[in-house]
Amino acid sequence: MAISKTEIEKLAKLAKLNFSDEELERFTAEFDEIIAFADTINQSIEGGTEQIRSVGARVVSFDDLRPDEVEPSLPNEKILSNVEGYNGFFSLERSKK
Amino acid sequence: MRAGISELAKKLRNREVSAVELTKAYIDAIEKLNPTLNAYVHLTFDTAMKAAQEADQMLKEGDAPLLCGIPMALKDNICTDGLTTTCCSKILKDFKPYYDATVWEKLKAQGAVLLGKTNMDEFAMGSTSETSCYGAPLNPRNTNYVTGGSSGGSAAVVCANLAAYSLGSDTGGSIRQPASFCGVVGLKPTYGAVSRYGLIAYGSSLDQIGPLTNSVKDAAIVFEAIKGGDKRDQTSADYEYDSSLAECLDRDIKGMRFGVAQEFFDGINPEIKSKIEEAIKLFERNGAVIENISLPALKLALPVYYIIACAEASSNLGRYDGIRYGYRTSSYTSIEDMIVKTRSEGFGDEVKRRIMLGTYVLSSGYYDAYYKKACLIREEINREFATVFEKCDVLIAPTAPNTAFPLNYKGASPVEMYLSDICTVPVNIAGVPAISVPCGEDAKGLPVGMQLIGRRFGEATVLQAAHFYEQSAGQVIGVYEGGVGI
Repeated sequence: MAISKTEIEKLAKLAKLNFSDEELERFTAEFDEIIAFADTINQSIEGGTEQIRSVGARVVSFDDLRPDEVEPSLPNEKILSNVEGYNGFFSLERSKK
Repeated sequence: MRAGISELAKKLRNREVSAVELTKAYIDAIEKLNPTLNAYVHLTFDTAMKAAQEADQMLKEGDAPLLCGIPMALKDNICTDGLTTTCCSKILKDFKPYYDATVWEKLKAQGAVLLGKTNMDEFAMGSTSETSCYGAPLNPRNTNYVTGGSSGGSAAVVCANLAAYSLGSDTGGSIRQPASFCGVVGLKPTYGAVSRYGLIAYGSSLDQIGPLTNSVKDAAIVFEAIKGGDKRDQTSADYEYDSSLAECLDRDIKGMRFGVAQEFFDGINPEIKSKIEEAIKLFERNGAVIENISLPALKLALPVYYIIACAEASSNLGRYDGIRYGYRTSSYTSIEDMIVKTRSEGFGDEVKRRIMLGTYVLSSGYYDAYYKKACLIREEINREFATVFEKCDVLIAPTAPNTAFPLNYKGASPVEMYLSDICTVPVNIAGVPAISVPCGEDAKGLPVGMQLIGRRFGEATVLQAAHFYEQSAGQVIGVYEGGVGI
């Protein structure tokens, strides 16, 4: 299945990525090959996927859960130590005048 | 013969060498070799020297744990409190985690000495470590070749004796394949055997942390130290293994049932195939029972893996928005524009490809055709593994269909590179443990790896079989000259 540039642009928007025209050209060609590869999953396995019985996830009852107790957590200043210019709030460049 | 962890521990206890002296010796070797090999991307010598002094104190007081004072390395996706951890991505430039991964917390409590963080494919996405934003590490055995990936740096530092052992992570072969390419031992434990708290996520239902070492015994020692349940990782389990794993190693393999599935050998380089066949004969000569078995769903393992891993990656990597940590673009017109530019400038091509594939297979209209179907086939693969492990104790397979690729190899498309993971991804899909051990060299002198796969929580059997092979086969690959001479 060939994928169009428009579809790639739509996907990029969903993934919050942007491609230059040159990147888009190259990426669309590569992506075609990648989708063809992913499509090999549709080679039927003997009897088709319909016969695969889904075992699903183990059912966990509420009795299996640990008690919901408040425990000490990391201090805010440590967690926010990687934020550039944090001053009680996240500051970004002004984008609206 | 290079000193293993037990020998180093003995030397430390006999006062033949102190932890500080040992650490200095590793630092000297790293300073000499790392500028060429590019195996370490962040060096932590100051904290290493401090840890070594503390280890000497622990050793002096007596009753120190086995790993106390032994210098080691961590892959750059394992969080270390206050020490730069970047996943070798521009988007995590200068990121300093504010907590320790459980594996590092455990090793640190034992007095381990961290020398640095090792090079890897960006976000662990790749098979050569060439997608690292710091450039590729070089294979110490032949610097014209790649180390493999994604834990390429972790394999290279062990191979070049720039660390006594290292930890890597394995989502689709990222411990075993570089171990194979560099001629070291790499263990991917059972999914859930080791806590992943503090491992920067790629494919959460597949990721697992494990050791890269010089010997199977060392792999058992390190695995023993890091395993166990953790309430901060709900996928981890407290499995009770038979006594000490290192003690299981010397048990006889007579009567052990080895399964050989033809599907693992289709399209394999003939040189590699013949090395694995020699190993099978060695097991058979020593009383093992060889069973020919079949895993028909294996032919679908690769697309299943790439669909599931990329779907999970596209979700896991959604958190990189330039606001709370890491790289942020310099100019933008709105918050949306800032996030899109940050991600587009911060992620490399391979990461973008996988995020895009993940987004595609999860998007409306394609979810059932790809993601849901992949999850169903995953169950079929699990069932086939469970069935073969009713009559086999261990499966034997190559670790990779080829030996190390030349550096900057341009002959392969992204999909052709994905195909090289054919032997390792089924293990992650099924969540079972597997080890790669060196089993010979190809005509170019590059190491070949053999993979031994076990049932869930069957690490003891896998380690026992691998140790038996290592002891019986003798010196199957050349010894790397260099690194620390202790």
